[in-house]
Amino acid sequence: MSEQRPMALAVFMYAMSAMLVLLAVGPAIWLVLIALQPPGTDMMSVTGKPTLQNFQGAWEQGKLGWPLINSVLVTFGRAALNVVIAALAAYPLAKMTFKARETALLLILATMMIPEQVIVVPMFTTIVGMGLYDTLLAVLIPFSVSAFGIFLCRQAFMAIPESLEEAARIDGATSLQIWWRIMLPLAAPTLATLALFSVIGAWSELFWPLVVLQSKNNFTLPVAVNELIGQFATNPRNYYAAAVLALIPIMVGFVLMQRWLRPGMFAGAVKG
Amino acid sequence: MSSLRHKAATPYLFLLPALAVRGVVYVYSMGRVVYLTMTRDTTFVGPDFIGLDNYATVLSSGQFWICVANSFAYLLVTPVLIAVSLGAALLVDSGLRGANTLRLPLFIPVVTPTIVAAVAWRLVFAEDEGLVNSGLRALGFDGIRWLTERPWTLVTAMTVTLWKGFGFYMMVFVAGLLAVPRELREAAMIDGASRLGVFRLVVLPAIWPSIILVFLISSISALKVFDELFVTVKGVPIEHQTIVPLVYEYAFGRGNFGIASAMGIVLFVIILAFSMVHLRLARKGEQEAAR
Repeated sequence: MSEQRPMALAVFMYAMSAMLVLLAVGPAIWLVLIALQPPGTDMMSVTGKPTLQNFQGAWEQGKLGWPLINSVLVTFGRAALNVVIAALAAYPLAKMTFKARETALLLILATMMIPEQVIVVPMFTTIVGMGLYDTLLAVLIPFSVSAFGIFLCRQAFMAIPESLEEAARIDGATSLQIWWRIMLPLAAPTLATLALFSVIGAWSELFWPLVVLQSKNNFTLPVAVNELIGQFATNPRNYYAAAVLALIPIMVGFVLMQRWLRPGMFAGAVKG
Repeated sequence: MSSLRHKAATPYLFLLPALAVRGVVYVYSMGRVVYLTMTRDTTFVGPDFIGLDNYATVLSSGQFWICVANSFAYLLVTPVLIAVSLGAALLVDSGLRGANTLRLPLFIPVVTPTIVAAVAWRLVFAEDEGLVNSGLRALGFDGIRWLTERPWTLVTAMTVTLWKGFGFYMMVFVAGLLAVPRELREAAMIDGASRLGVFRLVVLPAIWPSIILVFLISSISALKVFDELFVTVKGVPIEHQTIVPLVYEYAFGRGNFGIASAMGIVLFVIILAFSMVHLRLARKGEQEAAR
């Protein structure tokens, strides 16, 4: 198809691609450029000599050390919980026959329709009642298990041939062993994609941590950055540097994990 | 499937962690929220049952309807989002030299935390010296109040939503396009179909389910929008924002859980209605495809 494409169309497509890329990376690059400018210069000028001074200011005055550690812990914790619990739940839903199967599927689907913003008030009082207010556990657990993850894993397990499982049963393997030795390894690409999306989502989350965290040392990075608005009266560039600091770890993580970003993974979600 | 033997309790043990977490978080909380809507502001006094008064208060509040209207206006981001992400997917899938490498840069906004995205776009839309207003002024126009005045507050937040979302939906469309065999398109071209014809008659029907899915997900997230507004137009009066910021304001600004919960339920009903529309559209699409 490509060889018959008229020149004008190809040029148009390259122009559109360039525009999209500019739209996608432009604002983030602009933010980085502004954060790299020496303090005291004209806010929107980016022609000065780049310096890391604002980053130092943001790190020290913004006390971002704990938030960074908290964000890393919460992000990995949530991704791990999501993958493990979703893969556990998906196994019987994909491979076993039992009475409540349809009910369980329906229940999970139904909870998908409830936006977390609608239940934020009772969730807040529950967290307070359990003594978890202002703890990382409060951020970690409640929204760790995504229905999307369960359906994604179920799709992957359903594609695994029965015969493998049968052979293992004959060899005397328990269900847990089959899950661990056959299901998980064979569904590894799907689990990795799910982990990638959990990491991206957990790193970015603002609403819920904002509701349940109170003390600075317990903040995650997005909450910490949010609190810094207007706190750097002497050098507002520190604020932009803080935002860039929240961006760097996830960008590094994404570049390392990007090979798990495979569109084929979404095909099941569309069909389902 | 039934040939495999397992103990009767086994499936339930596997399901237990997921059902426990989602049961407590969603089912219990949903019941609790319905109960809360029928109580008066209870932060310190304890529950005080008042029936449906909170709903009456919410539904007769002008402020609430302004925010509902703003939320519906926010839905305008959905068609733009579909157009941009579908366009991007067609480019990625075009077979143009290097087109495949587009995926990575176009996914960067998806990875960017919303707060960072909002901070970056605040710089672009800053009212005094931001890029857009500076450009407008250089062209002889007045600057626009992007960060303080409706509808511009909504437009600014919608820009962030669009920016952060299109890379994800692009991937959904790329997945959909993978299901359209290239040979089929080429055969149609050889049979003399125009490019537009191939798109309309071969590609579009094949990715219709993806479009419906993206329509559903993106309109539900548009109705639930919070982060973008909360950071991008921070501190702006609630009348210039949407439903969820209003819920947040009532719950955690004023400590009025009853009113906040009633607003949440109204939002839930709106979202439910949207999901129904989606189911209708999806079924209609299937019937047409079957013909």
